[in-house]
Amino acid sequence: MNDEILSVDGLHASYFTTKGEVRAVDGVTFSVRRGEVLGIAGESGSGKSAAMLSVMGLSGSAGKVTAGRITFRGHEVTSSTIKELRGKSISMIFQDPMTSLNPVLSVGWQLGEVLRRHKWQGDTRSRCVEMLERVGIVPAAERLGHYPHEFSGGQRQRIMTAMAVICNPELLIADEPTTALDVTVQAQILAMMRELREASGMSMILITHDLGVLAGEADRILIMYGGRIMEEGTRREIFYSTAHPYTKGLLRSLPNPERPRERLTPIDGQPPDLLSPPKGCPYVRRCPQAMRICLGHRPETFTLSGTHKYSCWLGVKG
Amino acid sequence: MILEVTGLKKYFDTPAGIVHSVDGVSFKLAKGETLGLVGESGCGKTTTGRTIIRLYEPDGGRIIFDGQDITRKSSRDMLPFRKRMQMIFQDPYASLNPRMTAGDIIREPMIIHGLPKDEHTDRVSHLLRLVGLNSEQAGRYPHEFSGGQRQRIGIARALAVEPEMIVCDEPVSALDVSIQAQIVNMLEDLQKSLGLSYLFIAHDLSMIRHISTRVAVMYLGRIVELSGSDELYSRPMHPYTVSLLSAVPIPDPDKSDMRKLVALKGEVPSALNPPSGCNFRTRCPEAKPECSHLTPELEDKGNGHYCACPFV
Repeated sequence: MNDEILSVDGLHASYFTTKGEVRAVDGVTFSVRRGEVLGIAGESGSGKSAAMLSVMGLSGSAGKVTAGRITFRGHEVTSSTIKELRGKSISMIFQDPMTSLNPVLSVGWQLGEVLRRHKWQGDTRSRCVEMLERVGIVPAAERLGHYPHEFSGGQRQRIMTAMAVICNPELLIADEPTTALDVTVQAQILAMMRELREASGMSMILITHDLGVLAGEADRILIMYGGRIMEEGTRREIFYSTAHPYTKGLLRSLPNPERPRERLTPIDGQPPDLLSPPKGCPYVRRCPQAMRICLGHRPETFTLSGTHKYSCWLGVKG
Repeated sequence: MILEVTGLKKYFDTPAGIVHSVDGVSFKLAKGETLGLVGESGCGKTTTGRTIIRLYEPDGGRIIFDGQDITRKSSRDMLPFRKRMQMIFQDPYASLNPRMTAGDIIREPMIIHGLPKDEHTDRVSHLLRLVGLNSEQAGRYPHEFSGGQRQRIGIARALAVEPEMIVCDEPVSALDVSIQAQIVNMLEDLQKSLGLSYLFIAHDLSMIRHISTRVAVMYLGRIVELSGSDELYSRPMHPYTVSLLSAVPIPDPDKSDMRKLVALKGEVPSALNPPSGCNFRTRCPEAKPECSHLTPELEDKGNGHYCACPFV
């Protein structure tokens, strides 16, 4: 049980815009165990990034956690305690390595700043050199003095990763870390992250829209849609014992390499408008198996195994 | 053949030097065919697409469209050809004018190419229905549509003047997975019903495989391999194609665990100063000393499978 490093219970988060309240995260419960990779998949607006920004206390002035409880290593995370944890015990890396680094400061200065901020007890410079070497930026001592524009996109994502793990965090949240990168560079970055995890035993939340990346990297996977978790399971359960019609639809809409020219099976319709979300299941208007109950009543969560759950009224039929 | 490109070159003069974006690209596109052009950022695939339809002035080579050389045609002489070759852009947010209604966006090419005015409104309604929207939506502005719907408007605009060939530049990359399949199916249906030829540019190798009859793989301004799409994916020959295909994530845990990753050394060299000879040699796991002075040409290795490496 105490294997759980992060647990999120009944999280609701909204953005308050001029058009009204956008319920970006609508009752999300999950946990991350020590050393595991939890993958979160979902399309734009599914709430996958909003949920993580809420955990990190980074939702911005328009965003607000309206309900729910977040605990890290058994202690409740509040708006004041998150400041202690952020960057030290929990770190985050973002999609765009071009805009996440400060262009007018050397990467050495930016790496060192993380250590100074968290009162690192050793030699700052040698730690920076060590981290750059571990993410494959060499010769590290020389490269410390260089500025972000002197690095390629893949190298910048390596530097961002070095910054995120320099204080030995227990949990790394990576939000679409390879989406802006080419496939060969993506493969290099994912391999590097795997090595870092194996060396330190840290846990990781990997957020992506790419189901292929999760099939290779994640131990467990959450599938999100319309601010809610539709399905949760081990990577084999999600891919081989798919339960939710949305997950099935997502997997079917990908080109099948075994039947290359076969017509694709898209999910019809458009994602829900979170300003006026459907009362029942957020997927109801696109679901080929929708029933009357799905319109007015929020689906319950049904358990298929100790690790496999899904939220869908089809579960009543078993 | 609707299009024949031979030795196409496009260089950009920048303060840092000359960027060799497209450096001798040759291929043919048959009527009704889809040729996929795939490669990583900076390989020159988008520049190739834009140079072919003369959005950029070519610096070398020849572009033959339906039997006529259009490489050096003046913009006035190009106008009738522009009607026959259209483009669909990657970003459905940036490629539509936010101050124009969907109807006006689709009508604009009809005005430019002088289609009879009394037909415009009917044609706009017809095109909106053709791309899965409805004619009442003609009065709405781009911000009132979702990303997938905007891409449909961009496609309707490209179809407005009944082109024969469309350069599709990453038409689904900015869209969610479930919406990508909607747009790809629609492009396939339109191709069948209207007899369109597509040059389909993308970095998503599995989508390229699905949509293309033949596929050309680009690296640093050159085509390194070109063949029928099933052949290319089941028997890749060029060391670059082999490593590129091995890096594509597979949405299947067991297959993902079983596959062998052929990692490449380092990063793509700068197109400002590309390596001599075979420009892939600096990262090639099979590189030999002679690769630095011989420039490999695409040669037929059998079954119309072309590869620019003399050692495979």
